[in-house]
Amino acid sequence: MLKTLKAALLAAACVPALAAAQDLDQMTPDALYELAKQEGTVTVFSLSSRIARVEKAFEEAYPGVDLVGIDLSSAKQVARVVAEQQAGVHAVDVLYLADAPVVLRDLLAPGRIKTYVPPRVADQIDAEFKAPLLVHRLSTKVLMYNEAAYPDGSPITNLWQLTLPDWRGKVMMVDPTQRGELLDLLTEIALHPDEMAAAYKAQFGTDLAVDSDLTGAGEQFIRNLFLNDLVLVSNSDDLNKAVGIKDATNPPVAFGTYSDRRDNEEEGWALQVANDVVPANGILFPAVLAVADKAPHPAAARLLIDFMFGDDSADGGPAFAPFNVPGDYATRTTIADDPDSVPLEGLKAWTINTEAVAEHRARIADLIITLQ
Amino acid sequence: MSLPSTAAPPGRRLFTARRLPALLMILIVGILVVAPLLRIVLATLTPGGLEAWQAVLASPMSPNLWWRPLLNTLILGIGVSAGCLLLGGFTAWLVVMTDVPGRRLLGVMHTLPFMIPSFAAALAWGTLFRNSRMGGSSGFFESNGFLIPDWLAWGIVPVLIVLIAHYYSLAFTIIGAALSSVGADLVEAAQMTGARRPRIFFGIVLPVVTPALVSAGSLTLAGAVANFAAPALLGLPVRMQTLSTRLFGMIEIGQAERGFVLALLLIAVSGVFLFLSDRLVSGRRAFVTVTGKGGRTRRFPLGKWRWPLCALGFGLAGLTTVVPVLVLVASSLAPQTGALFSNWTLHFWLGEGGGQIAQGTAGIFRNPVLIGALVNTLKLGVTVALISMVLGLALAHTITRNKGTVLANVLSQLAFLPLLIPSIAFAAAYIALFGAPLGPLPSLYGTFTLLVMAAAAHNLPYAVQAGRSVLGQIATDLEESARLTGAGPLRRMWAIVFPLAIRGLLAGAILVFVKMVRDLSLVVLLFSATSPVLSMVAYRYAAEGFMQFANAITVLILVICLAASLIAQALQARVQKWKE
Repeated sequence: MLKTLKAALLAAACVPALAAAQDLDQMTPDALYELAKQEGTVTVFSLSSRIARVEKAFEEAYPGVDLVGIDLSSAKQVARVVAEQQAGVHAVDVLYLADAPVVLRDLLAPGRIKTYVPPRVADQIDAEFKAPLLVHRLSTKVLMYNEAAYPDGSPITNLWQLTLPDWRGKVMMVDPTQRGELLDLLTEIALHPDEMAAAYKAQFGTDLAVDSDLTGAGEQFIRNLFLNDLVLVSNSDDLNKAVGIKDATNPPVAFGTYSDRRDNEEEGWALQVANDVVPANGILFPAVLAVADKAPHPAAARLLIDFMFGDDSADGGPAFAPFNVPGDYATRTTIADDPDSVPLEGLKAWTINTEAVAEHRARIADLIITLQ
Repeated sequence: MSLPSTAAPPGRRLFTARRLPALLMILIVGILVVAPLLRIVLATLTPGGLEAWQAVLASPMSPNLWWRPLLNTLILGIGVSAGCLLLGGFTAWLVVMTDVPGRRLLGVMHTLPFMIPSFAAALAWGTLFRNSRMGGSSGFFESNGFLIPDWLAWGIVPVLIVLIAHYYSLAFTIIGAALSSVGADLVEAAQMTGARRPRIFFGIVLPVVTPALVSAGSLTLAGAVANFAAPALLGLPVRMQTLSTRLFGMIEIGQAERGFVLALLLIAVSGVFLFLSDRLVSGRRAFVTVTGKGGRTRRFPLGKWRWPLCALGFGLAGLTTVVPVLVLVASSLAPQTGALFSNWTLHFWLGEGGGQIAQGTAGIFRNPVLIGALVNTLKLGVTVALISMVLGLALAHTITRNKGTVLANVLSQLAFLPLLIPSIAFAAAYIALFGAPLGPLPSLYGTFTLLVMAAAAHNLPYAVQAGRSVLGQIATDLEESARLTGAGPLRRMWAIVFPLAIRGLLAGAILVFVKMVRDLSLVVLLFSATSPVLSMVAYRYAAEGFMQFANAITVLILVICLAASLIAQALQARVQKWKE
């Protein structure tokens, strides 16, 4: 009896708080700003140091709200938020990070963050980018080649060609057991067994025989790729240099970042995306925006997330400008892609299925470890 | 203060005045080191953690996750520490004990390699030896027609060489500090009785510096097994993994438990080596050389070997210091990261923003946060170095004075562990432990205090080892006589131990300072202030792909470290006035 009473009281006490949070979720930016001014500040962990430029634009647009931006890699953000909340510390308001599969498992599932979709832009974002996590933009890990050394276009038109003797020791990637995005790439490949099997048949004319200890053509591809002396490096800088140098003869190809092409002129590179590849040339993976659980400045946190999706202009205005990079893609449909890069619809990359990747990622990591 | 211990009932013996400092030390080490370590152990005892143990030790993955990385790690650890003792011992002897020309300059140059981040040495190696395995960009030798085989360009051999080139200066610093306290009286006495030079070396010098050799060997071993940059840059292209690259990777891809398991195993393996080396020292009689009498250093005349050895010393310094520094400086001047020695520009240092270079980013000296970052970095480095030094001295003192007891063994093992705990795990443990208010203590979350605490604990091994190697030589009779005349422990520490051990302590402080101003992981995880430190500024540039700016900051950090070590040398000369 007493227990139920207690529970009822507790529930009653919770209702206003819950209602308040829901109210915040529905508020217009103006209404949020009024509350945010009282909160005075908003703290954000960001995977990109471009948060410094967001800070400037944000404080100009919303005077009286101080943005505190802290650069932290995704893995460190997760480690820090978990440790903080275990100690009962709630200091950060907004997280801006990649590694979505880990975020899903370690932050969203235990309730350490929540997904807030700003009503102002909700209609302009596809459903798949609003749940379970809100996606701000998409980056790439796709097959890159040297357009100076291969002037007739990509030497690779089918992923299975990477397993041929011609390309032995000439395919590179950053070690997928050290960088989450590359592990996500291989996991996503493993999640498309039918397409990979069809591509095998298109390349070799015969059906693929999958080793008995593997499931699916994707896993077989991963094994064959490693057995073909895949070269692993520790950072994308080394990768770009190896693939991109303009006067190279017979340079390798690599799974890299499309937007690194913007450094071509300055660095003397000739990086280009290999887009005409079956079944796909790689992955698009999300950068996620989320509100931390018990954020100390809940209104300012929502205001910032709303702000980071930019204004209604085609380039998103000063708020989105820091992230408007050719080769990266905004999820907000009103923001146009860069005219010089392949438009999002034309890019032959798989957008990762965060939940499925999260589920199978550990198994693929185990497979890769045995192959190294 | 000095209750006669015989009068106390047996059960209370533990709390007699002599034991009190030791117990205090156990308490401090318990809080700073054992507590975070326990948290990591507990994290691996959850269901997920137990799975991780199994995956690492008994699964089809074990060979690649544990055994092979272990083998590589052991080869690196033993190889590097042997190489460092040889090179560091030789250079220390050359600089401290002989009349080789250009001693002072040599002394400065040989302390430099440790201040240059190990990635710079790895980068330098790559610039020279990179071969066609890395695609279109070949190194200096291949461009000039020499074929470089894979084993020389990548894998265990280059990693060994690069790590020895990086860590031998650590051995140099510690052994040099110990050698400088080998009194002239000992050597002269031996010479007068007709001992030949090898005899003096093996009979007097070597035994006296053995504690320093063991300290240096342990630190370089721990440094080598924990190093990430060199094996990642030079090992990965031939799929060479070490325990440190494996544990970094596991934490980075969200399998933290496996990372922690590997870290614990790494600690266990290193623990075995430390235990053995401790036995080596305690199994023999200790020689005390620092007594109340004057401690002039006696220099050997080298005779006809003067100039050849001088050339050798400078040649070594050139390879390990000048080449990496040159590559680092060049990479802060060259617009294209692939062509280090062409089209140099000062833009990355001084340039105004808005131009074509580097997407309009201004040079580092025009970055408004630079001065603030510089001040923060110095404040952090000095504070942490001071605190580690005090703590290290107290710990080292307790360890050496209780030598051979279980207590000393436990303390010395514990004081060594932090070096091997990955900083991300260390930082997470600190947040979890001290983030919440602890009884009357307020929450330390996000404060400078917490960062300093964690950093001091993390760098404790340097301070303790440096302190031990010198303290082991200080005669107890000095302290005993002070005790008899009624001086308390603090007074004894300040008036006797501190001045005598100053060189070793400063050496340790410099090592801590250097580690601290370069550290990134601990700082970004524990410190919330918006005002950054230099390593964070460098990280920002690097994350944006602006390696030149990042390298310019690294050069700046190097200059700071060098200045610090010169100041330390001056300071030491002032305190030990009797030396000159």
